[in-house]
Amino acid sequence: MSDVPFKNPGWAGNTGEFDLTEEEVRGDDFVGTRPLHGGHASGAGTMPFMLPETNPDAKLFEGEYQERFDKILTRYPDKQAALLPTLALTQELRGYVSAASMDRVAELLGLSPAYVRGVTTFYTMYNKRPVGRHLVQVCTNISCSLCGADDVVEAFLRYTDTELGETSEDGNFTVIEAECLAACGFPTCVQINSRYYENVTPSEVPKIVEHLKAQTDGDS
Amino acid sequence: MAYPYVSDREVRLLSTYFGDPKQRHIETYVKRGGYSALEKALGMGPDDVVEIVKSSGLRGRGGAGFPTGVKWSFMPKEKKKAHYLLCNADESEPGTFKDRELMRWDPHQLIEGCLIGAHAIRAQHVYIYCRGEFFEANQVLARAVEDAYAKGYIGENILDSGHDIEVTVHQGAGAYICGEETGMMNSLEGRRGEPRIKPPFPAAVGAFGKPSTINNVETLCAIPHIVKNGGEWYRQWGTEKSPGTKLFCVSGHVIKPGNYELPLGFPLIELIEDVCGGMKDGNALKAVIPGGSSVPLINAEEARACKLDYEGCVDVGTMLGCASVIVMDETTDIVKQVRRMVDFYAHESCGLCTPCREGTTWTAQILRRIENGKGTEDDLDTLMEMTQNMVGTTICVLSDSVAAPVQSSIEKFRDEYLALIRRGERVGAA
Amino acid sequence: MPVTLTIDGQEVTVPKGTTILEAAKTIGQQVPHYCYHPGMSSPAMCRLCLVEVEGAPKPMPSCVTTVMDGQVVHTQSEEATASRKAVLEFYLVNHPLDCPICDMSGECSLQDYVHEEGRDSGRSREPKRVFGRDDFGGDVLFYGDRCVMCTRCVRFMSEVEQDTRLTVVDRGNRSVIDTFFEEGLDGTNWHGNIVDICPVGALVSKDFLHKARAWDLEHTPSICTSCSQGCNIDLHTRDNLVQRLKPRENLDVNGWWMCDHGRENYEWINQGTRIEAPLVRDGNGGSKAVDWKEVLGALLEQANGAGAVKAVASPLASNEDLGALKALVEALGGGETVYRSARAEEEIVLKGFPSLARRKDLSANTTGAELMGLERAGADDATGGLADVAGHDGVLVVLGDALEDQPADFGKNAALYVFLGSHESEASANASFVLPVTTFAEQEGTFTNVAGRVQRFWPGLQAPGMARPPWLILGALVAELTEADLPRTAADAFAALASAVPAFSGLTYDDIGTRGALVNEPVQLSGD
Repeated sequence: MSDVPFKNPGWAGNTGEFDLTEEEVRGDDFVGTRPLHGGHASGAGTMPFMLPETNPDAKLFEGEYQERFDKILTRYPDKQAALLPTLALTQELRGYVSAASMDRVAELLGLSPAYVRGVTTFYTMYNKRPVGRHLVQVCTNISCSLCGADDVVEAFLRYTDTELGETSEDGNFTVIEAECLAACGFPTCVQINSRYYENVTPSEVPKIVEHLKAQTDGDS
Repeated sequence: MAYPYVSDREVRLLSTYFGDPKQRHIETYVKRGGYSALEKALGMGPDDVVEIVKSSGLRGRGGAGFPTGVKWSFMPKEKKKAHYLLCNADESEPGTFKDRELMRWDPHQLIEGCLIGAHAIRAQHVYIYCRGEFFEANQVLARAVEDAYAKGYIGENILDSGHDIEVTVHQGAGAYICGEETGMMNSLEGRRGEPRIKPPFPAAVGAFGKPSTINNVETLCAIPHIVKNGGEWYRQWGTEKSPGTKLFCVSGHVIKPGNYELPLGFPLIELIEDVCGGMKDGNALKAVIPGGSSVPLINAEEARACKLDYEGCVDVGTMLGCASVIVMDETTDIVKQVRRMVDFYAHESCGLCTPCREGTTWTAQILRRIENGKGTEDDLDTLMEMTQNMVGTTICVLSDSVAAPVQSSIEKFRDEYLALIRRGERVGAA
Repeated sequence: MPVTLTIDGQEVTVPKGTTILEAAKTIGQQVPHYCYHPGMSSPAMCRLCLVEVEGAPKPMPSCVTTVMDGQVVHTQSEEATASRKAVLEFYLVNHPLDCPICDMSGECSLQDYVHEEGRDSGRSREPKRVFGRDDFGGDVLFYGDRCVMCTRCVRFMSEVEQDTRLTVVDRGNRSVIDTFFEEGLDGTNWHGNIVDICPVGALVSKDFLHKARAWDLEHTPSICTSCSQGCNIDLHTRDNLVQRLKPRENLDVNGWWMCDHGRENYEWINQGTRIEAPLVRDGNGGSKAVDWKEVLGALLEQANGAGAVKAVASPLASNEDLGALKALVEALGGGETVYRSARAEEEIVLKGFPSLARRKDLSANTTGAELMGLERAGADDATGGLADVAGHDGVLVVLGDALEDQPADFGKNAALYVFLGSHESEASANASFVLPVTTFAEQEGTFTNVAGRVQRFWPGLQAPGMARPPWLILGALVAELTEADLPRTAADAFAALASAVPAFSGLTYDDIGTRGALVNEPVQLSGD
């Protein structure tokens, strides 16, 4: 995960008084290393990745994902409690939670599809429709706003050539405003897929956008 | 050492190892004395652990400031059903960013606190409800829990004590209201994260219908230190009614924002001017929100008089909340920032109670209209009265939280509202 | 254990665990509320039932606050009414105020409460949120903009019907009730109840859409005739037509609910082409309408020595009607009476209120018929089984069964064929006397339900022409043939029944009242 070819965006190290590498701040020996099968059941419900490439038709579930799903079920007194982690797993695979996905999750957990829809729509992290490979969530809540978050949003929109909430034509980016990401000391905080980019200023936005583009263009 | 900045005014108990990447590793944590408090606690009866915590005077760090030991003592002494401990790691109050640092720098400190807490309330399962957006903290925590399982600190017969405690890291999915304890229980159960009416209180009917206690990350992180060193030791910092240290999350217009661990009762103005290196760009202080966006904002004069503890904040008409100090300088457009906070509550209202569901959005609409120069002076009266109608009329206090910034800003910065209403003039518009 | 408290200055003693809202009802004080419904859990989310409780720091939701000894509650104090006034304003921020075109207008809690306790005018100047209209399938239309988000409908479906088809979608100000996308409510059996419990015009019946204004409807307590459960209902009528059926609360029978099958089955009551006058046929194709005195006189004349009696009765006829028929058969020398009733294969139980089900037996008074010794005949679709009767050569009496499946030569051999009905059919063509009778909606009477509960119903419609209740017609004949008194009221007819049939002995209309009373012997329907 630590292939950002420039300093600062993505971590808060160089703003402070510590001599730390980005890897050390992020904990790269811990983060992004979790196995697809979920590792120990206690942490199987934590989502390892929000992946740029997803498959809306991926099977729910098979292989290592089935293993992870089975582990999640062991951690709660009833199946319903596994709903949130299961939806997260679904989104990790499929990129968003479609009606068909809700239906399937309902079937897996013995719930009604309507119930699953009610829960899914309550939470903002479940994408109800497909999003770009990189979901850019700029915090515009008070602390970031005080430090110029609005300009960061504008810069992202300009450099990704998209409208707020829409997905860019190349399918790379969806830019949205986010509520407080709890990184108020590192404004502006931008969450892009699973990753926090902290202390982001408008002038750094083009570098980040280019970097992300290169990442997905390289993958495909 | 308050990553990313350091101040020699700090008293570092919980944040000692912020900025030290080795601390995440269980070997390092143990070598530095970690899990010895757990061993000590497991050798004691649950009620004795509760007594130590009671004697420390530790108050819940999630915002309400309820004494932790007392909260634990509400749990049934006899275990007829399963008990649960929920760790509230759904940090999302605007201005607050301490729990993420606690989890990503020192996950075992939290795990140890959770285990001691579980022992004290006779819980056999701990759920750490971690905010969904914290992918990184989540993974650090998941790995740390895995390591602790491997070393026998979690699971069956912990450290040969005969006690079994499970820990599960549960990831949220994006809802501020799940930080409210009953909303969190609903969310953990796979429901919409809507708060529940109390009574019944969680200690009687909590998660999965069983007796449960919910504690904030920072609260639980303080537990190992208190158990290891005793309640009196902890009282050497802070005030009589607000003992101990607290992580202050400072954000906004200061030179060195960050988390600073300071004794409670620390003067706010010293925090800004000394610890945080003063105001950015040499601008003058205009307003401070000392406890996260849900508490009333205070002006510069009040800020100078404010002592940062639960009582000191009340004295200047605000609250300590979770000690999230948002500092605003003279260039700040108060109306815009208040509107932005209200937008947040409108976005995060669960929609259960009518005053909140309708009131949050309505408030935001009026503020937006004022911001766009289309407001009237009557709007200010409506805002004052209507937000008051949102106080105390709902199940949880999200609705009350809207009244705090709106009413306090209209009272203290009425001129700014009037300038917009009468002339469309905006502070900091240039 | 009883608890004594003071509500609005009045001392009230209620059982422990009672909510303040229910306790206040006992002194006639209705605290406004939306989300609370006695048949479901209380989420306390509408925040309208706030009352002042002395010593409490803020107004308390009376629907979940239970009473305590010595508690002092004010439902009408300044604090209480001010809280409710404040909350009501929020309800109108996004409400479309489309009362003139809303079916709920006139019986809407939002209208009522705002009128009673709300502000004189709203302060919101902002554009309103718009959800529009959604077809939920079945009989239900959803007007999202009128919804007050009380979630009664969601809770009914999940807790009472236990078919979680409805949910709240999204959150906060964008919350809206919906099903799983296009799934809808089709296939559920009780969803009509969500229209009843919706306190505003958000859930409306398609069948009733724009059909009548609430204030033009008359309400008559009655009993559903669509199965043997005997759900207590109200007939809502206008222009002498039933416009809709609504359940009437009776915790011993149907709670607050009724099934869709029963609710939708009312058009037959409004059917035109009724028999409006007594007809006498000469046997050669000629017939003439005559008055009651003449027809009964002629009938009695012919009945004399006409032979053994066979009778067919409808299980939709009341206890009084069947009792009078039984008395007549005996007065004419005795004979056999049969009834035919449709039966479904399965019961449809309301899971959250399991004493209520759409019963297998699809007639209102099968139990009454059996208690009076009538024999079941025919198939489960209420056809056939009348071969003996059709060719009978003595006295043939048909009450209420329209005989639609029977051939044109039915009753041709009978010495005397009397047909009491509301509609003619091919099989009634041979009757020498055709006597117009009222339906249950046009007369007073009782049915006996599957559990042996005798329940009264009242007339909600005017009978057409000269139609009369069967008990009156049959009772008049019996009075002529025996020493018996002429029954002047349905109560008289019931009293006659009570003295003749042991199962009903001792019961009176007064005992039965509006809630019903059990017969004297345990009942079991044949086939159950």
